[in-house]
Amino acid sequence: MILRSAYVWTLRLHPRRFRQSFADEMLLIFDQVAGNHAAARLAEAKLVGDGIVSLVRQWALRSEFRCEPTVAVAALPVADGVPAFYTFGSFKPRPTALIHGLILSIAVLCAALLATRYSWNHTVHLPFPIVAREANNSSPKRESAIIPSVVAAAPYAAQSAAGSAKEVGRESGPKCSIARRKPLRLQVEPKQEQAENPAGEKTTASEQPATAATGLRLGYAKPSDTRSNSLMRNRSGFSRPQAQQPKSQDAARAMIPAVVVDVKLDAAHRKALVDRTIANLRQYYFDRDVAQKTVQALLAHEKGGDDNAVAEGGAFADLLTRQMRDASHDMHLIMEYSRERLPDHPPKQTSESLARYRKAMEQENCMFKKAEILPHSIGYLKLNFFPDTSVCQSTATTAMASLNHADAIIFDLRDNTGGFENMVALIASYLFDHPEFMYSPRGTPTEQSWTRSPVPGNRLADKPVYVLTSASTWSGAEQFSYDLKVLKRATLVGETTRGGAHAGVFHRIDDHFGVGIPEVKPINPFGTTDWEGTGVEPDVKVEAANALEIAEKLAESKLQKK
Amino acid sequence: MKEDTSEFVPLSTATLHILLSLAGEDRHGYGIMQEVARQSEGQYKLGPGTLYDNLQKLIERQMVQPVGRRAGEEDPRRRYYRISLLGKAVLSAEVARLEDVVREAKMRLQPAKPRRT
Repeated sequence: MILRSAYVWTLRLHPRRFRQSFADEMLLIFDQVAGNHAAARLAEAKLVGDGIVSLVRQWALRSEFRCEPTVAVAALPVADGVPAFYTFGSFKPRPTALIHGLILSIAVLCAALLATRYSWNHTVHLPFPIVAREANNSSPKRESAIIPSVVAAAPYAAQSAAGSAKEVGRESGPKCSIARRKPLRLQVEPKQEQAENPAGEKTTASEQPATAATGLRLGYAKPSDTRSNSLMRNRSGFSRPQAQQPKSQDAARAMIPAVVVDVKLDAAHRKALVDRTIANLRQYYFDRDVAQKTVQALLAHEKGGDDNAVAEGGAFADLLTRQMRDASHDMHLIMEYSRERLPDHPPKQTSESLARYRKAMEQENCMFKKAEILPHSIGYLKLNFFPDTSVCQSTATTAMASLNHADAIIFDLRDNTGGFENMVALIASYLFDHPEFMYSPRGTPTEQSWTRSPVPGNRLADKPVYVLTSASTWSGAEQFSYDLKVLKRATLVGETTRGGAHAGVFHRIDDHFGVGIPEVKPINPFGTTDWEGTGVEPDVKVEAANALEIAEKLAESKLQKK
Repeated sequence: MKEDTSEFVPLSTATLHILLSLAGEDRHGYGIMQEVARQSEGQYKLGPGTLYDNLQKLIERQMVQPVGRRAGEEDPRRRYYRISLLGKAVLSAEVARLEDVVREAKMRLQPAKPRRT
């Protein structure tokens, strides 16, 4: 990937005419030679060297080819021997004078062209605070991209709740850099998720911040693993708000047999839970000082008898969650209780489960629901999930290719529930002419955190982009929206998104309890808070149902101004 | 009418191989690279930079012409190239020149036969 990027940059530095004529083909050859084995790496390195030599040769020795020919070569005989054009007079300047003049002219011309091109692609970035646009503000957004200087993020684990065939792929998280112990991965959700809690608790985040997040999502559960799906569907904190649940998911939940147990806690069990939680905090929490402070708080509560009155599992989990958050002020620390028995280990991905996942994705066209050209040459892509590129890359490239000639593009993420960071970066690759960092607040950045821009043959890099959002837009879809917004590459139209950003790692404590602990502190290169708990604010606030219509009008208006 | 090819010969090694690889059929860039390697039995390999530098010159001199994409081609970026009549004439002239060179070389390198007395 690095070598490819180096090669792309080498090609981009070639003279314009050469680049326009041959860069795509040279990159195609590079892609054909590329591979993972050592020989391919060597070949790639040789091609990069060849590209550099070519670069020097084109600039130093091929000045005659750099500019578009304005005068045809004089008296060049064509097939029938008749000259196509005649020169005026017989005067011929000295060859050296011609070369010097040519080099000077080309240098001046190229400098002017470069300066012009630079001014098109770059804008001065001043650190003004981001100001959200009002609903009636339809002025066009700047489309320049600011490259962040500090980057830190983690790849997405799949995270959405599963339940229907459509959503079967959401739990696939085959590649994650944090998976060194292959723990279950959790994601914090607002307390309003508890609307479906069998205990009947209904508490909103605003009402009770200390317990504002109790929902977990398992990123490492595999797509077709019924154990994991069962776990995810039935644990009290895992489900989504009823209003946002697909009907098929409710049906699927009803079909899954669940063995549930109401755990009654005695003093010994409570002490064991607190001890194990403390051990996990000391071992895994990213900030040792805060971990120690939290541990002391838990011990103090235990010693003071604050835990003694609670015998019900869910209530005890909530109590420990509150205690940890009060001490740490970290809303991502969570004690989770499950009435079902938790699996001993996260299910492993098998070739069969991968095949099932692949088949399910193919049946759903990788969740690319619609790709079409609307009136006024506006491209429209409705994407309900960002699937893994290892399965769905070709579908994504086909969908984007079908919109390549659009003059503006609308991404409809109103029903998108997240997905894989690699697909987020792949789709975003078409929107930039240079590699751009797609921030994800989930740990350390990886190679896949960068877009693969420029995409050869792509024409969308400078086209206006609109992203439709709703209150259901979640997780990876929020990352896509957030990053394009802060990079000033897209105008967000619709509703504030759900607000699922952070993720921690789930550590099983016993059959019914587990603790979620953030292990990596994300650093936001954009210097703003991310969308955890608050959602991504749209630039143009409208009801989700009207977002497409509004976005079309905005795009149309912008295109007419051009 | 016979082409005036004198100003184009002798050809560089890369140009000669490229024209030779296109003499049989139209090829895309990667196909030319592979054919050149095959012709020379792997002794001469063209990198993309050298290939397209020479193709640029050949197109400019109207010895090769790009013929666009083929229907059904898997990758739309792939472009095919065809040798022109001028290109064929230049190639023929170069081959003839090389034959002369080879003949001359053979004559000079041939061990002198002992004279009978």
